[in-house]
Amino acid sequence: MGIPFGYVLALAGIVVVLGMICATTRRNLIMILLGVEVMLNGAAIAFIAAALRWQQLEGQAFVLFIIAIAAAEVSLGLALIVYLYHRTGSLNPEDYQVLK
Amino acid sequence: MEFTGFPYLTAILLSCVTGLLVILFVPDENRSAVKWVSAVFSGLTLALSIAVFLLYDTARGGLQFVERAAWVPSLGIHYLNAVDGFSLPMVLLTGIVFFTGVLTMWELDHRVKEFYAFYFLLVTGVFGLFMSLDLFFIFIWYDVSLFPMYPLIAIWGSTRKEYGAMKLTLYLLAGSALILPAIIFLHVQAGGTTYDITALMQPGTFSAADQKLAFLLLYIGFGILAAVWPFHTWSPVGHVAAPTAVSMVHAGVLMKIGAFGVLRVGMSLCPEGWQFWAPLMATVAVIGIVYGALVALSQTDLKFVVGYSSVSHMGIVGLGLSTLTVDGLNGAVFQMFAHGIMTALFFSAIGYIYERTHTKMIPELGGLSRIMPVASGYFILAALTAVGVPCLASFWGELMVFIAAFRVYPIGGVFAVGGLVLSALFMLRVVQRAFYGPPNDKFVHLTDVSFRLGIPRMILAAVIVLFGLLPSILFDVIDTASVAFIKGLP
Amino acid sequence: MIAVGSTDTTLLAAIAATKLPFVAFAVILLLTRRRPRLSAGLSLTAIAVSLASAGFLLVKHWGIARPIEYAALWLAGGDVSVRVGILIDPLSLIMLAVVAAICLLVQVYSLGYMAGDPGFSRYYAFMSLFAWAMTNLTLAPTLLQLYIFWELVGLASYLLIGFWYEKFSASEAGKKAFVMTRCGDVAFFLGLLLILVHLGNLDIRELNGAAAGRLSPTVVTAGALLIFGGIIGKSAQFPLLTWLPDAMEGPTPVSALLHSATMVAAGVYLFARLFPFFSLSPTALGVCLAVGTVSMLIASTMAMVSRDIKQVWAYSTISQLGLMIMGLAAGNYVAGVFHLTTHAAFKALLFLCSGVFIHAFHSNDMVVIGRQGGRRLRVPMACLVIAAAALSGIPPFSGYFSKERILGALADLPNPLWVAAGLLGAFLTTYYTFRLIFIILFPAPGGEDTAQSHGSEHGHHGGYAVMAWPLVILAAVSVALGFGEKAVAQFLLNPFGSVTPAAAHHAWLPYAALGLSAAAMLLAWFEFGRRGAGQIGFVERVAPLHALFGERWYIDRAYRWLLDQVVYRLFSRLCARNDQKIIDGAVDGLGRVIAAGGGRMSILHTGMVQYRLIVVFVSIALMAIYFFI
Repeated sequence: MGIPFGYVLALAGIVVVLGMICATTRRNLIMILLGVEVMLNGAAIAFIAAALRWQQLEGQAFVLFIIAIAAAEVSLGLALIVYLYHRTGSLNPEDYQVLK
Repeated sequence: MEFTGFPYLTAILLSCVTGLLVILFVPDENRSAVKWVSAVFSGLTLALSIAVFLLYDTARGGLQFVERAAWVPSLGIHYLNAVDGFSLPMVLLTGIVFFTGVLTMWELDHRVKEFYAFYFLLVTGVFGLFMSLDLFFIFIWYDVSLFPMYPLIAIWGSTRKEYGAMKLTLYLLAGSALILPAIIFLHVQAGGTTYDITALMQPGTFSAADQKLAFLLLYIGFGILAAVWPFHTWSPVGHVAAPTAVSMVHAGVLMKIGAFGVLRVGMSLCPEGWQFWAPLMATVAVIGIVYGALVALSQTDLKFVVGYSSVSHMGIVGLGLSTLTVDGLNGAVFQMFAHGIMTALFFSAIGYIYERTHTKMIPELGGLSRIMPVASGYFILAALTAVGVPCLASFWGELMVFIAAFRVYPIGGVFAVGGLVLSALFMLRVVQRAFYGPPNDKFVHLTDVSFRLGIPRMILAAVIVLFGLLPSILFDVIDTASVAFIKGLP
Repeated sequence: MIAVGSTDTTLLAAIAATKLPFVAFAVILLLTRRRPRLSAGLSLTAIAVSLASAGFLLVKHWGIARPIEYAALWLAGGDVSVRVGILIDPLSLIMLAVVAAICLLVQVYSLGYMAGDPGFSRYYAFMSLFAWAMTNLTLAPTLLQLYIFWELVGLASYLLIGFWYEKFSASEAGKKAFVMTRCGDVAFFLGLLLILVHLGNLDIRELNGAAAGRLSPTVVTAGALLIFGGIIGKSAQFPLLTWLPDAMEGPTPVSALLHSATMVAAGVYLFARLFPFFSLSPTALGVCLAVGTVSMLIASTMAMVSRDIKQVWAYSTISQLGLMIMGLAAGNYVAGVFHLTTHAAFKALLFLCSGVFIHAFHSNDMVVIGRQGGRRLRVPMACLVIAAAALSGIPPFSGYFSKERILGALADLPNPLWVAAGLLGAFLTTYYTFRLIFIILFPAPGGEDTAQSHGSEHGHHGGYAVMAWPLVILAAVSVALGFGEKAVAQFLLNPFGSVTPAAAHHAWLPYAALGLSAAAMLLAWFEFGRRGAGQIGFVERVAPLHALFGERWYIDRAYRWLLDQVVYRLFSRLCARNDQKIIDGAVDGLGRVIAAGGGRMSILHTGMVQYRLIVVFVSIALMAIYFFI
């Protein structure tokens, strides 16, 4: 119980914001995906801290879910990106505007 | 569950659905098998429709062949089928047009299987709508019969087919967008417990103001389908674009759904709304009669002429419905039947001519009577029916409607009767330009309609003459419903 | 039919007379289309049985005082029920006999005239259709049944005029006939509706009886005038008269049967049928008298300049029908009906004789026929002269008796204008009739170029004998009928109980009429008959008059203009334009507006994934602020 809850929450916030910036500013699909992953991890940190703070197990269970879903999401996302790269040879999100 | 005797009506629906499923399982390349399956199942459907027509007890009248089962009890939705004097002619009409339509398309060779599958789906919806007495199901059947029209026209059609299909679908969806709120409104106003028309029909269920609002919505919504002026422009375009059998069902049956919907849903549930809006209906109908005939005068495409004549003739139906009299209702329903058979014959004949000459433009035809006397004969018979020659079916409907209309709306009646001159003018003009005169050299090598291909046209022509000579067969049936209906008015 | 027992020979005969032609029509159309001889046989048998039945009925019920009526309910409705049946009274019996007899004679004649035509079976089918419709029209007990068959004879007329449909003029004439009579029929139908609404039914006997007294005079006048509209259309009276001359495009036997003797006379028959009803309204009678007079005079003037032999008889038909209507409208029932009967005989004869000439010389032009030796065909020439004499009202031919009666009735009217018009009509009639006779009998030698042939009907030689016999029979009837005047008058008046008040005797009238006829004949002889005559009529010397008469007083032009400019150009075009531009334009415009709106909205979609992400984050942040602060 060394680190105050507020500090951990602040760290989680910083991680989320970093992920957000990464996801919105990088011009590379893979980096966008990575940014989303980072945001998920930020959320996971907040859950862990909250679980510790209130001594409730649901928080940790939720984190397990997040990790599993993140893994699935990354695998699917990467597969799509690889497929897109094969088709168009580009990883720039600006090139994908078919639905406009 | 409540079934009285053999469930003929469900059997009709099942026969269509089974036909549809069997067609889907026939291999694609085996075209003649698809056609034979379609012919067998549509023939079975026709036989069942005729059986229902003959077994209906006119002495007893009222709703018969009632089939009732709870569908979604918590929402008050029932599977409720029955026929009465209004829907019985429509069921028979649908059976006849369905069967003859299948036979008319016997020479089709482009994506045969899909065509018949959609065609069966379309007709299933139409049958369901005519037989159902549950508002919810009526709406579902309406949409079931509506959506196959798009692929049927867009894939197998001609002359600006995408435009026609799109226009038709949008118009009819707009209609359904008016019908749905009206149905929900009525459902909610009645306490939100049931969609059963027989229950909702009880006098005093809806206040006069509610009826006026709901009737207007239903009238416009279904009226679009009945090509009520000024919501008619989809119908000629759709007729022209559609392939022959679809034109037959479309003009012959689908437009009747509109008028029937006004009668079954609008007028039954909102009699006071009906009485309130009747003068408007009559005015619009008279405008439609004269206007449709005038526009038909300056058309050069055979199908456009028939399309606009349909607008004119559906105006007569609307006029009959607006008179609030037994004769008017009798005449309107009879006219719906007669017009259905007549336009089916029209399009069937045009379909043959188009298939041989590859044109529907009147100036390019000419002298067809010499080249294909029998095929032309069918068209001329239909044209004479449209002109209102006695002893052909349409005459009696028009007679009754005009008698009723003249009694209730003398001025409108005069204009409507005056429309007879116009209809004679444009129909005979077409007959003269396209079928009389010296034969066109381009077409002299063409053959007349063979006996086998002529069968559907023969059936339609025979029906026209039969009901022209013995109209009481049909009138006695319709009378059972309309007398009770008018008596039940507040 | 009401069950009266199968022993009721009247009913049986009436059914045989009215239903058999329909059977013949259906059988020919469905089964024997490819066998012309059998078709003709069927049709002839049917009409022969009809004639026999008609004759039987006439003999059995000679002197009938009370009408016999049979009726069955055909269609029961709410406020109206349709009954069909048979009404037998002197008028319908006479008309039935006339119709059946002329139908039979014309059908026999057609055996020769139409021989070898590719549409032979079709011709006999339509002839049977006509016979069916006409006999049922004649015996109709209700106005509604009369109207139904009235429309059906119109249909038969349409089909038969356009029988040679490959000729443009023929199909055009058929259409014109149908549409113009339809205009009259609409008035007729409205009249029916008016009476139906006010009286409750359309029974002819009730309408002629006391029941009509229940109607207000306005309704009677309006109803009578509207019904008279139908008569104007069917009997080709002013102003709907121009379809009849065009109808001569049909085969000549058709013109003889439909467009002179029977179908066009149905209008006059309807007038006679409702004579007591019409009599209730002096206004309506006045209008009828005026219309009849105008039609009679202007049709005569048109006949004076035409060179087409059938056209002359067509104009003459209009004029004689006008004369009948004048007679009836002047209040003399017998005169009108009797003239209808005699006219049927001699006018059919005129047409059939002309048909022989046309058949032989392939021309409708009287000058050409005369030059090619029309007078060598002895039988038709003699019959033509007899019929012409009857038409001109020369004793002892039948036309004399019936015309005198009508003129007598006109002379009874207080206003001398009407009888003057009648006498003028008689003068003109004799003039144009003998103009035609003299041109054929005494052709001008060589001279001017007159080979202008009016599209002759194609035909095949032969069958002369089969065509000659009906002529002889009709000629005999035309001569004999006049002497039956008293008997027919007595027969016709039976149902009315008393004989009509003896008309004031106008001793001067026959002399005046005969004198005028003689003068007209002399004039015609001077201009056309005498040796070295110029064969130019006095009308033809006055160019404007000639143009006016030859152009049918420009009535046709007016209709053409009305149809082309007003109906097609103005209304039809306008409505079509409105459909395309306004209604469709509005709908398509709506579609375009929605599509354009979608385009505007799509600016918001840059398509970049990351912009959307930013939007998501910003909105989450905003929501967080909203919820927590």
